[in-house]
Order: sequence, then C-alpha cells, then structure tokens
Amino acid sequence: MQHVRIPQDRLGVLIGEGGETMREIEREAEVRLDIDSETGSVGVESVGDPITALKGPDIVRAIGRGFSPDAALTLLEDDMTMFDLIDIDAATRNDKDMRRKKGRLIGEDGRTRELMEELSGASVVIYGSTLGAIGGPQEVEAVRGATEMLLEGAPHGAAYSFLERKHNEMKSQGMEYHRFPGSRSQPEPEPEIEVESESRSRSRSGSG
Amino acid sequence: MSQEADRWGIAHVYASFNNTLITVTDQTGAETIAKSSGGSVVNQNRDEASPYAAMQMAEGVAEQVQAAGLSGLHVRVRGPGGNEQQNPGPGAQATIRALARAGIEIGRIEDVTPIPHDGTRAPKSAGF
Repeated sequence: MQHVRIPQDRLGVLIGEGGETMREIEREAEVRLDIDSETGSVGVESVGDPITALKGPDIVRAIGRGFSPDAALTLLEDDMTMFDLIDIDAATRNDKDMRRKKGRLIGEDGRTRELMEELSGASVVIYGSTLGAIGGPQEVEAVRGATEMLLEGAPHGAAYSFLERKHNEMKSQGMEYHRFPGSRSQPEPEPEIEVESESRSRSRSGSG
Repeated sequence: MSQEADRWGIAHVYASFNNTLITVTDQTGAETIAKSSGGSVVNQNRDEASPYAAMQMAEGVAEQVQAAGLSGLHVRVRGPGGNEQQNPGPGAQATIRALARAGIEIGRIEDVTPIPHDGTRAPKSAGF
C-alpha cells in the first residue's frame, strides 16, 4: 500500500463522473484506490499482478499534477513509459520569479510547451509549481534537459535547438537502441510506441 | 527434493539516478547468488542508470538465478534515501519488469529506501 497526496481540485478528475475514472484506473492498473476526499490522500493497493500495479502510484500522481486521465493511463501502454516531475519551486526565489519562470516554460500562447511536446514526443503539463512529463526515457530526458536550461535562464532559442538535436538523435539512433533489450522475449513493443508517440504529437499540433 | 522445488531468493535493487545495482541473494541475504551493475552492460557513464541498461542487467541476472535453481524472487527496491532522493531511480521498474519477463516469479515487492527519522541537516537543495 502506497500513499499519494494530490491537491483537492484534482480529486474530482481522479474520481471522474460517478467514479468512472477511478474504476478505469483500478481495472487497468490492477490496483484498489482508497481516496480520502478530506485530505486528498490516496492509498494505492495492488490487487492483481504486482508488476502492473507498480505504475499505479505514478498514474495517480500524474493526475494530481494536472494530467488528464487519458494521458496518465498512457503510462500503462508500454513498459518503458515513465512519469517525471520537475519541481519549479526549487528553482525559484519568490512568487514573482515563479510566475516569470512558469511563463518562460509555457511560452507565448503555450508555444514553448507545445514545442517541447512535439519535438520530444512526451506529453508535458505545467500545473501549479511543477512540470510533469510522460513518455519514453529519452523523451522525458529531453524535456528535463530543456526545462532545466530554461529555468537556468537560457534563451528560448537555445532550448529549442537542444530539443531539435535530441529529436534528431532519437529519430536516427533511437530505433536500434530501443529494440535491443526487448527483442529476445517480446518481438516489438518498442518501435510501435515510437510511431505512436509521433502521431500523437502530430495530431496535437494539427489541432492547435 | 521437495525443498528444491520452491527455493526463493531476494533481489536487492538499488536504483539511483547515476547507477543501478542488482544483487540477488538467498533469503537470509548472506549468500550472494548473482550481481550486476550498470557499468557491466553499457560503456557510457551517463547510461548506467538508464532503464535499457537495467533490462539487460536483469536478463543476465535472471539467467544466473535460474542456473542456481531459484524459482522466484522477492524484490527489495531502494533509492539513495537518507538526505538524498527518496524514490527509486528509473532502473527500478525496468529491472522488476525484465525479471518477470525472463520467467522469474516475483513475490513481494518492498521499498527499503532509508528514511531518516530526523537525522543530520539536509544539504541546501541545488537540483530541481
């Protein structure tokens, strides 16, 4: 049993209409959620396969940090998808600085955040004082790198070219590096994810 | 013979952000059956903590464990803990998954990250 604390205003999202989202998470991740709506504390208990349930706390945490339930459930799609949280609070001096740095991360009309998603392939959400990213290890690492650059005061152009470089790296050598570990036991879950995340970001850019 | 059928061991997985160490011992923890670390499968230092490295390590360890005749493993995951990072690094989940996929039964998964009961003063935080 693991406990995760999430903000009050995300509890509704976690539970969903009539408990729908909560039940979906419980079914997909094979866990039981024990939600205390007074304190916002969520107990996550494994009921089925303990290995599937490993991602349970991460899903709840992701929803707590502003991800939509659909985005949070993509964590279960692949073994390698992971959730990373970057605390903007740790890099800021005061409230005003926080506003400024969040603004830098989001960009004009959310352009920076969108570009981060598009070039890395991860989904990125900025909520409160955190930036969360869900994606493959390399994708998440790219987001983290760019975020740290921006928080340290690098110009946006530098962060964009960093992301661009990572994007090209992932496209060229990412594939065979990806395939290696899984190739013996399971044929090809990795390459598929690569394609999927690409189309995900593309459709997003199309609508935006 | 009947004892032979269900011998279990413990996989100690130490996953920090710079490396992943896997040590498989018998149930008392006194006898090491197999061990591996990030440096044994990758060449670049920065890749030692990556989930890919962890998977490869786990596959190697799984072979040795099966050769030693263990049927299942309990898992003890740990992050750096103490005054450092409380949650296990990226290698932890990958290790457990890879072990399971290599055909080893996984028993209890336990988090044994050392938590200070108010120890020394934490260093001023520099990271994110």
